[in-house]
Amino acid sequence: MIQAAHAGRGLVAAIATAAAVFGVSRASAILLPLHDAHSARLRLSWSARPERIEVCRTLSAEELAQREEHMRQRVVCNGRFASYTLRVEADDRVLDEAVVRGAGLRHDRPIYLLRDFDLAAGVHHVRVSFERREQMDGTAAAGQGGTRTERKEADTEKEEIDTGIFAGRAQREAVEYARRARAAIPPRLLLDTTLVFGSGRAIAVTFTPERRMLQLLAERPPRR
Amino acid sequence: MQRFGEIVARAAKHRRTLTAIDATATRLYGWRWNPVHQSGTVAVAMLLVLIGTGVYLVLFYRLGSPWASVARLAADPWLGAWMRSLHRYASDVFLIAAALHLLRMFTQARSWGPRTLAWMSGLVLFGAGVVCAWTGFVMAWDTFGERLARDGARLLDVLPILSEPLSRIFAGDGPVPSAFFFVNLFIHLAVPLAMGAILWLHVSRMARPVLLPPRRVTWTIVGALTVAAVFVPATLGPPANAFHLPPATPVDLVAAWWLPLSERLTPGVAWGAALVPLFALIAVPRWTRRPREGRWAPSNVDARLCTGCTQCAQDCPWEAITLVQRDDGRPTPLAHVNPGHCVSCGICAGSCAPMGIGPPARTGRDQLAAVRDDVLPLLARSDAAPVLAICCERVPASHTAALRQRGAYVHVVSCVGNLHSSVIESLLRAGAQGVLVGGCPPRDCASREGPKWLRERLYNDREAELHVRVDRRRIRVATLAPGDLRGSIDAFEAFTRELALLDQPIRETATEFDAVCDPVPLDEVAS
Repeated sequence: MIQAAHAGRGLVAAIATAAAVFGVSRASAILLPLHDAHSARLRLSWSARPERIEVCRTLSAEELAQREEHMRQRVVCNGRFASYTLRVEADDRVLDEAVVRGAGLRHDRPIYLLRDFDLAAGVHHVRVSFERREQMDGTAAAGQGGTRTERKEADTEKEEIDTGIFAGRAQREAVEYARRARAAIPPRLLLDTTLVFGSGRAIAVTFTPERRMLQLLAERPPRR
Repeated sequence: MQRFGEIVARAAKHRRTLTAIDATATRLYGWRWNPVHQSGTVAVAMLLVLIGTGVYLVLFYRLGSPWASVARLAADPWLGAWMRSLHRYASDVFLIAAALHLLRMFTQARSWGPRTLAWMSGLVLFGAGVVCAWTGFVMAWDTFGERLARDGARLLDVLPILSEPLSRIFAGDGPVPSAFFFVNLFIHLAVPLAMGAILWLHVSRMARPVLLPPRRVTWTIVGALTVAAVFVPATLGPPANAFHLPPATPVDLVAAWWLPLSERLTPGVAWGAALVPLFALIAVPRWTRRPREGRWAPSNVDARLCTGCTQCAQDCPWEAITLVQRDDGRPTPLAHVNPGHCVSCGICAGSCAPMGIGPPARTGRDQLAAVRDDVLPLLARSDAAPVLAICCERVPASHTAALRQRGAYVHVVSCVGNLHSSVIESLLRAGAQGVLVGGCPPRDCASREGPKWLRERLYNDREAELHVRVDRRRIRVATLAPGDLRGSIDAFEAFTRELALLDQPIRETATEFDAVCDPVPLDEVAS
């Protein structure tokens, strides 16, 4: 009798254990919905440096003479980074319109943009514009290194004292300005096209620094 | 805030849920193999399984092709598939066991005072387990792993930690960098190593910490999980693809039960939803603490009675007692209780032959006095010698009521490990037919080692042992486990049947107890 009770209890325990383990195994793979099966997604994703807007001034000979020799930078620039207006439209419907600035408290870091817009699968006319908000009248972007006039004066000055410890600096500055200008986002980016969105598919819009334009990215082979 | 604290404190006293879980598990498995009682040690056992299987799995993991390497493992029917599944299921059981252990400690009021360190380190261990599970799923880099990674990145991006949003990694405008998988793998491997150190901290205040469940429980769980791993292998979703929007993904709801909720909330609200309960859990020791008086007063040492035998220090489950040099000229050391470590379990009271230590009102002398006042008059009045049941206060009321219905006189003590053997002797000498000592299951003792030391003192001559002249046939140590009322009744009835075969006990007068029970006058000791 006792043995039968023990056997019965053992059987119940075994069933309970099996049920618990089965429950754990099932709970470890519950299918949970994530996206609407007929939805698609337009994704904007890029990171790039905003333009530098600077006002430059050439120091006078007296001002330069008051400085240590290694501190005699002739052109001193003050400025800030540009902000941009992002406008995203799909089929003439505005999905987003926002001001985008560089990251960081002083907005001096690159712009990191990541926006997802859910759309119905199908054909959509998509227009993405990314325009600098600041006007350049009286100011200049980093690539120009100051207003045209100031720049010209600075160049003249450079030619005059491009010797000694300043040797080759004008060239280095020019290279650096050019690099920064190339890396910066152009004043206006526009993508205006018609796209076919497949069900459950995303199309990304990104900025390519090499071509300095917005570019479309669709599915690529998964990382294996 | 005060109101919140009151709610937490009230919840801590609400043991019904835990008792129901305990009782169900005891009915199914018996108290000896009740896995709920072993929740903490089961978590450690699962951690070992995770380390063992994880070492194997990491050998085949490729940072450059995470999904493919895991898929190759999952497709290997001989070892890889079930090792991976066992790893996955063991992580689930780890989290369940750890959460249950947390609940147990909370509802058993074992989360404050000297146990604060264990509580806080336990929280860290649980959190580390969640992080390990999170990173482990991301390692596979299937749709579920990507879903977790995206949500984690979304939550991290609102914090001022990273200048570039982490979410951009998964946007698809470039391949996910191997550095991401490397950092993820590093966390997944480093956190368990840290868990080993935290586990040491977790049990550092305990003497003789028990880290593993009984072998039968361990192998039953590991065996069952292995069978499940072989026959119901863990799923691996399709590979993550930034340009695919899967309608559904397989989600491990044990490890990522919070994910569906988190995805619906904005990052700020999600952080709030996580931090409020976390804050409450951290504050539990503060809100559930008791005043260190009465039931929760730490043990005291009567220097006049302490012989310096060291037994209390040996028996203390919390290493709260040390031996110090006396300042009264006697050559023996003196027991000293560290109130910061003492949990008022009273084990020391049962370990001290001269009854010189114990929490206030629970020393051996206090126990004898209580028996003299409450039980001996009853024995004197009764014609037939009754059977006495000395029960732990945590024994369910239904059990003590059942014993009373069957003629037992029930005397409740704070813990059977607290019980001084002289109490049993006194009861038998006063004419009790027999004494049944009913305690909690050994692995469920709130004082950790109560039933263990009781048996040692009664049957194995551990210091403060039951005198040799006492007839052991009239004593029975029983486990009165919640959920096993039948077992408790059976134990009592079997004991009474055996007692019926013995001669009637000889009743001695109670006068001699007075000498033992009364406090020793100080001047008398001095002389």
